Amino acid sequence: MTATRPARPDEAVLGVAPGAVAEPATVEEAAEVMKGCARDRQRLVFVGGGTDLGVGAPPAGVDVLLRTGRLSRVVEHSPSDQIVVAEAGLTLAALQRTLAAHGQRLGLDPPGAEQATLGGIVAANAFGAHRTRFGTARDLIIGLSIVRADGTAARGGGKVVKNVAGFDLPRLFVGSLGTLGLITSVTFRLHPLPEASATVAVEPITGGQARALVVATREAQLEPASLMLLAGSGALRLGVRFEGFGPGVRQQTGRFSGLVQAAGLRGELLDEAGAEAFWARHEAARTSGAVRVRLAAPPSALEQVLAGAVAPLAGGLGQGWAVLDPWVGCGFAGGTPADPASAVAALQRAREALVALGGSLTLAAAPPAVRAGFDAWGAPPAAVEVMRRLKARLDPEGRLAPGRFVGGI
Amino acid sequence: MPESHAEIETDELARRMSAVVGEAHCISDPAGLSVYECDGLSHGRIRPRLVVLPASTEEVVEVVRLAHDAGVPLVPRGSGTGLSGGARPTPGGVVVALSRMRRVLEVNLEDGWVRLEPGVINLDVTRAVQGRGWYYAPDPSSQSICSIGGNVAENSGGAHCLKYGFTVNHVLGARLVLDGGEVVDLGGPSPDTTGYDLLAALVGSEGMLGIVTEVTLRLLRKPEATRTFLATFPSSDEAGEAVSGIIAAGILPAAIEMMDTLAIQAAKAATGLNWPEVGSILLMDVDGPLAEAEHTSAAAIGIARSAGALEVRIPVDEAERQLMWKGRKSAFAAVGRLSPNYMVEDGVIPRSEIARVLREIGRMAGEAGLRVANVFHAGDGNLHPLVLYDARNPGEEEKAAKLGGDILRLCVRLGGSITGEHGVGAEKAAYMADMFAPEDLETMFLVRCAFDPEARFNPDKVFPTPRLCGERPGPYRPHPAEAAGLVERW
Repeated sequence: MTATRPARPDEAVLGVAPGAVAEPATVEEAAEVMKGCARDRQRLVFVGGGTDLGVGAPPAGVDVLLRTGRLSRVVEHSPSDQIVVAEAGLTLAALQRTLAAHGQRLGLDPPGAEQATLGGIVAANAFGAHRTRFGTARDLIIGLSIVRADGTAARGGGKVVKNVAGFDLPRLFVGSLGTLGLITSVTFRLHPLPEASATVAVEPITGGQARALVVATREAQLEPASLMLLAGSGALRLGVRFEGFGPGVRQQTGRFSGLVQAAGLRGELLDEAGAEAFWARHEAARTSGAVRVRLAAPPSALEQVLAGAVAPLAGGLGQGWAVLDPWVGCGFAGGTPADPASAVAALQRAREALVALGGSLTLAAAPPAVRAGFDAWGAPPAAVEVMRRLKARLDPEGRLAPGRFVGGI
Repeated sequence: MPESHAEIETDELARRMSAVVGEAHCISDPAGLSVYECDGLSHGRIRPRLVVLPASTEEVVEVVRLAHDAGVPLVPRGSGTGLSGGARPTPGGVVVALSRMRRVLEVNLEDGWVRLEPGVINLDVTRAVQGRGWYYAPDPSSQSICSIGGNVAENSGGAHCLKYGFTVNHVLGARLVLDGGEVVDLGGPSPDTTGYDLLAALVGSEGMLGIVTEVTLRLLRKPEATRTFLATFPSSDEAGEAVSGIIAAGILPAAIEMMDTLAIQAAKAATGLNWPEVGSILLMDVDGPLAEAEHTSAAAIGIARSAGALEVRIPVDEAERQLMWKGRKSAFAAVGRLSPNYMVEDGVIPRSEIARVLREIGRMAGEAGLRVANVFHAGDGNLHPLVLYDARNPGEEEKAAKLGGDILRLCVRLGGSITGEHGVGAEKAAYMADMFAPEDLETMFLVRCAFDPEARFNPDKVFPTPRLCGERPGPYRPHPAEAAGLVERW
């Protein structure tokens, strides 16, 4: 039995203090903790690096906080098969360093890579600017190991990229926020590190111009690795990154610059330092502000998203920022509001606008005063009853992160 | 009032079903039913009680309600091209064929999606949008006849999924009819719908969660350039080395296909191609922006040559390129020219083990006294060994089945999978226990129970030991399979 220790004050989960903390060093110890909690009917919350702990609603209660940080081994990296099996508590940065030594990477780049763990990234469905090219964890995960609420260890998927044997447990756990089971290890497919990378910045640009440029980029059969619209104080700024072999990157940046010019806009091919600064600015925005939200809407709705969601958030959150990927139709916004009431009003307006477009707005961080007036998830999705049934099968007593998820799950 | 399976007469069930779908679309005569006794896996035929062909979500809902009330299992079916028996009828069950639901409902190219009914043929999705330079990426070899609904059920792959992913990476939304007739929409055209990713659980669930009546698919803009080449090698050792070298160089080909001597002979016999009968052939596509495709193609050819390629052929035009691919895609059927009977296997191994596994398969085939032709997606290690046999020779079919099973176990031993794209279905359920522990299977089964607690849909597939979900609401009624002593409840 793994010993637990008392929680420190900074270990509260969205204001809910845990009764005790367990930090298992092995998967077996983690399963023991889970079994012990099952026996004693204790409620659990799992924490990796804590970078996305603000996603979702506060838990109804936490008897034991299970920290995965000591489960941090690379179990297997097969460069020739381009796969890696790693324990859930390994940080993204540590993984990327291991992979880079073999000229490879995981195509996920959420902010805070030094803290964010693989298990946490999967559970919170965290992503960064490379989503344009690689998608989310859902597109890269090929296997995982879990411990169920009753302490049963199980796994799904496998170690090969192509595999359709059995139901897809790995993808089902992406974005499940610790409500279905403890993720103990994850298996990802990998990609080669690119030989070359180049970023073109376009500034100033309007929403309509950005939308038209995205359509033109697709029509020109270009394949950007990242495409991000930065909104803050001042004009909108678009950054487009191309990656691959040198000749391909040169051709793509050249043709994209041609499209920019044809649209009557001003584009600049950034040098290495400039490109680094652009993407660092993107990441800094993503992690700043006391209130942060995730946005989604179809790419063609970019102008409505800017007018109906980003504009009210900029006002209501105070010194607001937003980053939008108009290729995918997702984004983030945030700020530090002076007044919770105006923040709540802005969040409500923005959510209504996005929902009307078929999209969504979910909380990624907010102080209690804002949470008190604004639900983290909004109206439950159409299939919420099936989700409740799934939760009831895997966690019949509702002990895993109770209340954290959609519809009070 | 629910009735038990045994109580309802087939004639009465047919009368009720006909009232929903129309008499012409409820098949009950033996000749009509015989068409539906199997899918692409032709052995182990089972005659369904009835086959119904609904034309809309509303009709599917009514069919499901009738089956629920009568306690009759349902097996959804697309084009019936599946190779693992996933659409094989359940004894005493009704087959729901979705082939009449084949409308393309909505196309939105700016957001890159199409909404359609499940009976639409895979290739017809691309045909609907190719005039504007778009396409649907997953391309199973049967794409000219297989349906999108079947692709969703099996999470179909194809030669080009190495770069572009499988069906699951291209399904944005689905409308699903659950037991009892409840209709739920999963996902949708906008990214990041909130809640569990039930759509991911649905894709590849082999028709065991419900009946899909609408699908939203991601469409892609066609790549600017595609470069294809074919390289011949003395043996699979050199070809395997070329594949490893290409991947190690950081190249992500759109497809790399490998064929051995027997498969080459079969493809030549079927298509008249002038391929040399060497030990191994690689057929490779790279695509993307022009400069990227040209650069990676030249680099890959260089690697193939230094790995020991005998000859590299580059198609002079699109027609020749199509012919090369036809040779590859016709290989399965073409093997019928080499042998009166054959079994198609579908295993996956880590790509780095290709040469070793092919040698081992050769050794195992020699021991069994059988021939095995190998056609496979080398880039992702997805093998398709075709086990040749003659059913007229007593005991040979059993020997072939055993060899196929031994090959799958070899795949599992090396860290691979018993299926890369054909699904588990009826055929491979027995091998699931080789790949997964009881706890793994139990967890998957709990997912199934969340959707379909009474095992209405395709109840006898995928899981090695048929099981029933616990905690059924309402008064206890024995499941027909339970009553017959075939399963136990847990």
